Amino acid sequence: MEFHVLYRPAHSLAVCNLNPNETIRAEAGAMVSMTRNINVVAAAKNPGEGGLKSLFKGLKRMALGGESFFTNTYTAMNQPGHVTFAPSLTGDMIVHNLQGETLLIQGSSYVAAPDSVTIDTKFQGFKGLFSGESLFFLSASGHGPVLMNAFGAIETIDLNGEMIVDTGHIVAFTSGIKYSVVKATKGLISSFLSGEGLVLRMQGQGRMYVQSRNPSEFGATVGRMLPPREN
Amino acid sequence: MQHQIEFGPAFAWLKVQLAPNETIQAEAGAMVRHTPGLQIDTRLNAGRNAGIGAKIKAFFAAFARKFLGGETMFVNDFHGPQGGEVVLAPGTSGQIMHQVLDGQRKLFIQASAYLASTGSVDTKLRFGGLKSMFGGEGLVLQECTGQGDVWINSYGGISEVPINGTFVVDTGHIVAFEGNNLNFKVRSAGSGGGGFSLKSFLFSGEGLVCEFSGTGRVWIQSRNLNALVSWITPFLR
Amino acid sequence: MQHQLIDTPDFGMLQITFDQPGEKIVSEAGAMVAMDTAIQMQTAMRGGLMAAAKRKLLGGESLFQNTFTSTAPGQRLFLSPGPEGDLRAMNLAPGQNFFLQSGAYVAHVGEQMVLDTKFGGVKGFFGGVGLFMLKVTGPGTVYYSAYGALHEIDVPPEGYTVDNAHLVGFTEGLTFNVRKFGGFKGLFFSGEGLVCDFQGQGRVFLQTRNAGSLAAFLHPYRAVKAKG
Repeated sequence: MEFHVLYRPAHSLAVCNLNPNETIRAEAGAMVSMTRNINVVAAAKNPGEGGLKSLFKGLKRMALGGESFFTNTYTAMNQPGHVTFAPSLTGDMIVHNLQGETLLIQGSSYVAAPDSVTIDTKFQGFKGLFSGESLFFLSASGHGPVLMNAFGAIETIDLNGEMIVDTGHIVAFTSGIKYSVVKATKGLISSFLSGEGLVLRMQGQGRMYVQSRNPSEFGATVGRMLPPREN
Repeated sequence: MQHQIEFGPAFAWLKVQLAPNETIQAEAGAMVRHTPGLQIDTRLNAGRNAGIGAKIKAFFAAFARKFLGGETMFVNDFHGPQGGEVVLAPGTSGQIMHQVLDGQRKLFIQASAYLASTGSVDTKLRFGGLKSMFGGEGLVLQECTGQGDVWINSYGGISEVPINGTFVVDTGHIVAFEGNNLNFKVRSAGSGGGGFSLKSFLFSGEGLVCEFSGTGRVWIQSRNLNALVSWITPFLR
Repeated sequence: MQHQLIDTPDFGMLQITFDQPGEKIVSEAGAMVAMDTAIQMQTAMRGGLMAAAKRKLLGGESLFQNTFTSTAPGQRLFLSPGPEGDLRAMNLAPGQNFFLQSGAYVAHVGEQMVLDTKFGGVKGFFGGVGLFMLKVTGPGTVYYSAYGALHEIDVPPEGYTVDNAHLVGFTEGLTFNVRKFGGFKGLFFSGEGLVCDFQGQGRVFLQTRNAGSLAAFLHPYRAVKAKG
């Protein structure tokens, strides 16, 4: 299979070209269009896992505000075919080719990968003191392309050292980089007023993807202008 | 100080390299990433020469706005003994524009469009009425004077429109304006060119507009958060 | 009059410069960004009360449209849609049809252009979110927008399937079949899981983002209604 991403960076659309009988698994809601020979199967679990355990995993992912519970698998039947994918928010999409390393991906940034990549939703992350501060990572390991989306443009950084990154702007990073959660400024109150709250100290060597907009900030700005909801 | 605007026009962000002890001031919440040697000091943006009365007023206004929604008036100063790099980004998609104030210019910026500034640039808050203070319709402006750089962000792209006469702009689309002979007045969309039209006011879908008269220029943005809200509302559960 | 498409493809905005007094353009209510003050803006119920009410009841189109008429040469008018994305113009010859998702309509020029909201065969496209298919017939120019980028597909001989929430429009000469999607379509909002299979000779216009997904994203950021 191969991906190419069109209309970068704002309104990106990922085209996944599949060879005959090849399969791609993607988040529910990401599909935009497809050739007629694509067979779609709803899947609510990762491959190789038993029913109840993966149900809990999926619900946990949902509750933590990360990925939706549902994924779909798309298979090109007998002939080559393609599926196009798009994320919920305006922004870029990028493919990271895994070659045996592990990539930690911020929950809502994961879009699609073939079955040769294992997606593990064991909880990593934190829930901060202030609303909108929670962060959830899933890990991708194995071999193959991983399609990710971002809110905004994506900056690719090869880190060797240390960098402070705002929690809302991190997309993904390889496992050679360790992160710790720190206050943005010296004081707690000033951290709140500074608008930064908690930030991530990234240390180590590896690749890091940063997005140029913060979804929680956008959500809060527009959300408070919308009519209230029932629940 | 060196600065670059990257990822425009859709998702522009501002990357700044600071020399030792050089400072850049940015609106609260704008930081994306910074090198470890920089420190952040948070303070109230009450205007440089504000007396204690004005400071208290600004403090309460800022707190009220923070909790009721809308722009906060807190800013962060980034600086460090060895300098470093900081990247700043606004909340919505769009462009960033750089302007240099030379001590003579008076630039009015829509409050949510202010991103960062340096030097002795001073900003004074102007409200277009009590309602607009709490983030509703209307105009909340920062009047910028002094010397230094100012970075301004937009929702959408930025177009500069010269004015020589009268010109009307939907308030949600104003990024900034200036002009020695430029006057502005906020009114409803339907009340122009021929008197107030109740039908237009109620049904035209246009909210408040700002009528400019004189000579000068206005920068308009090609998107508007109020229009986004109207558009998305039917899809909400 | 002259038109210029500014800030495309990310934040498409239409700039109209009128050449003569008396020139007109009709637009969706709420699309005006800026204009010379002397341009006359009239809010009208196009087609009369019944037609406008029909449009409102069928959803999507607001009840009112604005007609802008120039009063002098050189006057400028700027129009833009609500969501981010591209904006394009399509010129239609007399009798030529273009099917446009109602939310994508921005403006049109041409007093003989017909916007038809009710024609056979295109019901139930969008599953009750208040959108419907508009049939636009020339002569004239129609300006339409997309949420996201506009992606055009010439329908291949074996046909093509599209998620309806991403459908902007299509040309005449195609047959279409709306059905439920075979997989999960997201939990609550993503267009009710409707897709459309297109067949025949023609072009389909897609947008690379959809409103339902944005609404789902914004949901947790809304205030909760106080329980009485």
